[in-house]
Amino acid sequence: MENTIEKQEKLQKGWDGISRFFRANSIWMLMYCTGCCAIELPQAMTSRYDMERLGMGPMATPRQADVLLVTGYLSLKTLRRLIYAYEQMSTPKYLVAFGPCTLNGGIYYDSHAVINRLDQYLPIDVYIAGCMPKPEAVMNGFQDLIDMIKRKEANGWKNYEQNKDWYRKNQIQALGELRIKDEFHE
Amino acid sequence: MNKDIKILAKDIKSRFNLLGEDYPKDNQAAFDFNSGEIHSVLSYVKSQGYRQLSILSCVDWIKENEFQLVFIVFNWQNGVRLQIRTRIPRDNPKFNTITSIYPGAQYYERDVHEFFGVEFEGNENSYKQLFLENWDDMPPLRKDFDSKAYSDRKYPVREYKTDFSKAGDE
Repeated sequence: MENTIEKQEKLQKGWDGISRFFRANSIWMLMYCTGCCAIELPQAMTSRYDMERLGMGPMATPRQADVLLVTGYLSLKTLRRLIYAYEQMSTPKYLVAFGPCTLNGGIYYDSHAVINRLDQYLPIDVYIAGCMPKPEAVMNGFQDLIDMIKRKEANGWKNYEQNKDWYRKNQIQALGELRIKDEFHE
Repeated sequence: MNKDIKILAKDIKSRFNLLGEDYPKDNQAAFDFNSGEIHSVLSYVKSQGYRQLSILSCVDWIKENEFQLVFIVFNWQNGVRLQIRTRIPRDNPKFNTITSIYPGAQYYERDVHEFFGVEFEGNENSYKQLFLENWDDMPPLRKDFDSKAYSDRKYPVREYKTDFSKAGDE
């Protein structure tokens, strides 16, 4: 009996390794272009830096995507939609944050409409520095993400599921109410 | 000054009580009126070809304790942009809706109501939220609203052990 469990664990470990290999080398990104850093993505995607050589490509819907790119500042209204999008994505999912606005508010540190720290509301795997980050930095950030997936370090989504109450508390504190009925969704 | 503006200014002076006028550019003019006259002025300029309401904006003159409403209308025939301005008291600000003259003002009135707290009587939709969702403080574009204090209170600030702001000055 123990022999079979050991066997199964071994098999599972092997499958994990294989799936990590494939996950790291075919990342589909959902570009939810929130702020100005999104302007650096066309350069990173097109022929000069060519993101495709890392196995990355754009994807249309949250349910099909692996990585969510938060490109810059987030107003409260955008944060609410971002949480919708993130929770729709199927696991494993990763989140890459661009620029100082997601880190500490950036130049919008004193704005009434823009949040200061994204990591209070959603788990972040990789930060990319720069205001805005150059395409080299963007590519470097993606390479970091790939290495992290290979090393089993990109565990933001597990973290989110484990500490969901804490994240939810912060989200409610900022947004008041998570699901809102506006006139366009009635 | 544009010829069309000259004729219009003369016309307006003969019909309404003009409080002030300003001509910032060749094809632009700004006229000030009492708040009671705005609706008749707007209907008049609309009949003269100023058919597009470009924007309805609001300015907070906190020292004078007044809000200034600015209606910018545009004429596609001669390319003239007209500002119709008026001032209303800052305490309990109220104004009658202009949606019967310019239906497109619907959203601008919601905008001004949300950011300055001006109530537009007769437009029930102006009380609906537009940009801010679940707003819990005073209207944020008033001059006495402290944006930094609100941000610090509502959004957690990242603490740093090193003070990076001073390192750059050396």
